Amino acid sequence: MNLIACVKQVPDTEAQIKVKADGSGIEEAGIKWVMNPYDEFGVEEALRLKEKAGGTVTVVSVGPARAMETIRTALAMGAEKGVHITDLDNADAFATASALAAAIKEIPFDLVFCGQRAIDDDSAQVGSILAELLGVPQVTIVTKLEVADNKIKAVKPIEGAQLLIEASMPCVVTAQKGLNEPRYASLPGIMKAKKKPVDVKKAADYGISADFKANVAKMMPPPSRPPGKIIQGDDPAVKAAELVKLLREEAKVI
Amino acid sequence: MSDILVNSRDQKFLLYEQLDVEKLFGYEKFKDYSKDVVDMMLGEAEKMAEEVLIPTYAEGDREGCRFEGGKVSVPACYQDAYRKFCEGGWLCPTKDPEIGGQGMPAAVFSACVEMMDGANFAFMMYPGLTAGAAGLVEKYGTDEQKEKYLSKMLSGEWTGTMCLTEPGAGSDVGALRTTAKRLPDGTFLISGTKCFISCGDHDLAANIIHPVLARIEGDPPGTGGISIFLVPKYRLNEDGSPGELNDVHTGNIEHKMGIKGSATCTLNFGDDGKCVGELLGKERQGMRIMFQMMNEARLEVGMQGLGHASAAYQRSLRYSKERIQSAPIWEMKNPAAKPVPIIEHPDIRRTLLWMKSYVEGLRALNYFAALALDMTHVAEKQREKDLWNGFLELLTPICKAFTSDKAMEICSYAIDIHGGYGYCSEYPVEQYMRDCKIATIYEGTNAIQALDLVGRKLGANRGANVTALFEKIGETIARAKGLPALQKEGGFLEEALGAVVELTRQFGRWGKSASFMIPVLNARPYLMILGDLVVGWLVLQAGAIAEEKLEGIYREKGAEGSRAKQRALARKDEEVAFYQGKVASAVYFTAAVLPTIQGRCRGIGLGDRTPIEMLEASF
Repeated sequence: MNLIACVKQVPDTEAQIKVKADGSGIEEAGIKWVMNPYDEFGVEEALRLKEKAGGTVTVVSVGPARAMETIRTALAMGAEKGVHITDLDNADAFATASALAAAIKEIPFDLVFCGQRAIDDDSAQVGSILAELLGVPQVTIVTKLEVADNKIKAVKPIEGAQLLIEASMPCVVTAQKGLNEPRYASLPGIMKAKKKPVDVKKAADYGISADFKANVAKMMPPPSRPPGKIIQGDDPAVKAAELVKLLREEAKVI
Repeated sequence: MSDILVNSRDQKFLLYEQLDVEKLFGYEKFKDYSKDVVDMMLGEAEKMAEEVLIPTYAEGDREGCRFEGGKVSVPACYQDAYRKFCEGGWLCPTKDPEIGGQGMPAAVFSACVEMMDGANFAFMMYPGLTAGAAGLVEKYGTDEQKEKYLSKMLSGEWTGTMCLTEPGAGSDVGALRTTAKRLPDGTFLISGTKCFISCGDHDLAANIIHPVLARIEGDPPGTGGISIFLVPKYRLNEDGSPGELNDVHTGNIEHKMGIKGSATCTLNFGDDGKCVGELLGKERQGMRIMFQMMNEARLEVGMQGLGHASAAYQRSLRYSKERIQSAPIWEMKNPAAKPVPIIEHPDIRRTLLWMKSYVEGLRALNYFAALALDMTHVAEKQREKDLWNGFLELLTPICKAFTSDKAMEICSYAIDIHGGYGYCSEYPVEQYMRDCKIATIYEGTNAIQALDLVGRKLGANRGANVTALFEKIGETIARAKGLPALQKEGGFLEEALGAVVELTRQFGRWGKSASFMIPVLNARPYLMILGDLVVGWLVLQAGAIAEEKLEGIYREKGAEGSRAKQRALARKDEEVAFYQGKVASAVYFTAAVLPTIQGRCRGIGLGDRTPIEMLEASF
């Protein structure tokens, strides 16, 4: 089976994010970069399918030079090869998906994994656009997956229920937490990863322009929380009445 | 970066900027390594430590080991962690790739292990002892023994121990009573009791291979008559799988102050006369062979101390920024003054900087010893090999004893910084102190380490090893004196060095005279003096490197000569703040600790022998 896992490098969930003074993005100095956690589920699922049914896993990433670390991490986990598209800084979801689609079209593929969203911009669009551009079915937010007879059966939780969805392969699956427990890159894996091939490409190689449909106009830190209010008084009933009044009139939550 | 366990920037400073481990990658043995690979490994070690081991820390301590129906079980949460640890290839990264390792430089592994030891040392004892015991099989085993045991041990499928201590033979190993009786097929029947055997029995692995010290019947008493045997818990079947029990029984497990997840066992060998052992190496070479494992284990105990010290400092630093208590001292007359985070109080700041400078110095000491080990493997000229081997031998007792003693103090201060909360199990610092204490005792008590230093290591190689160390320290003195910002500090180190050189010579003279008891009596304070000198050297070396980098940055940013501009720079730029912190460690340590060395040396130099001469009745 030819399996593809798309990965994005994002700031560590514990990183202290500071917005640049000019609002053009975040301060990158001192940030620890990691593989997007939802993409890790995708990589792990691809590796498990390969280990069960044979085949190869190719990781594809759009990101600056440092994203190579994330590709190497996936290779150290057990993927065979990588494709790195380097010059699409601040790309929108459409440009990212276009680049991924162009790279994936050059490789035979049966199943493509994406994280259901990236934890940095939270757009949750790339997997779906990618499926459209590849012209294949998509199943998003998957927590369980079975593959047999050139078809997938995927479980997708929705409000108050679970859907069991069948789709024909090739297709795109976006991975949700719970799909599996990703493995750690092992030391032997890290030593082998160095020697695995990674194709470094430019967007122009695929005819993709850096003229994006959507651009971030300005990044602002979330507004700081206004100070809390303590209701003074001795009579609990009076205080409760005051609280209800404030919740209704000031906070407008009831 | 979460930096719960270590300051990872400091680890990288030490590896790349102070010890220059990248030069190791130029040698054939380490040619597959590069900075990228090492950074990735450090990242994975941090994940293993924080995501897999930390969650087992308090739970393993609360649950402890159990001994029921003759069987020992480890804390349940260790099982999954052990599997993940072994799958990650962490059991023996420094071994050669041909036998299942990754050929990792020991200096690099030190940085990985520091995090893991700080995360859960009790857990780390199982793989640590296994790698050590496997190392004996690798070096001294026959081809058949290697075939039987090595790959299973190095994968973690089977574990290992080291069986020296007996109820009547602790520090005095030569007094052991375990015997080995020759069998016609060349194997031996082992009979005796070993106690305090770490990881001696447990349910993590399918078999346990015990290297056991015993005396072959008829061999002379004392350490010279001891041989070493491989004794599996389960005998091996024809196909190499574990078969019937080899008459090795667990008598009990100890209930300890700390490292409760590590099963400390009394093991009875041959109660039914059916315990079979195989000779490892040659007869009566047992102590020499076991010393390989003991020397490695002593360095590992140093790392245990370092891991705890570093984690204790990191937790204290974090807590002191969060805990709000008391208005600042200069606002004491202002009733409206607001309480501040305790890091703003002078005593907390001094304590934190004391801890910081020692942690950094101990880190440098232990990694430097590991680098020395690497250099003994790759150095091309015999003189260079001898030099590094000399450092390694001289520093091993200091790594073990000085690190563990200082680590206990650092853990104790960590509790002080946490106040009453620190004494409660809600915060991990009380467990750090309990888990760390054993490091001053096992693997040769710190008093034994001091005797090893003074009795064997100082005079070894006709004193050339310690002279070479003093020369290295001299190089740093010259470097610091060449920097306007550290000129005075270079002078402090020079004065301390002078006092230690003089006391060392005095020890030499006493050693050859009727006063030889004075160095013996003062071996432990001498070791602590030498430890402070070495830490002072390494902290000042780091400070000098940092100061040189800062000079370049200040020039570039136009902040030369302006303290205000330099401080402003550090507020915006984490790198500048880090380097200024390295200089601060050097300035503080050389002023607060190094001047005490002259006084301590003078006291010992007086040659007082009261503790020996006074009557026991007067104690």
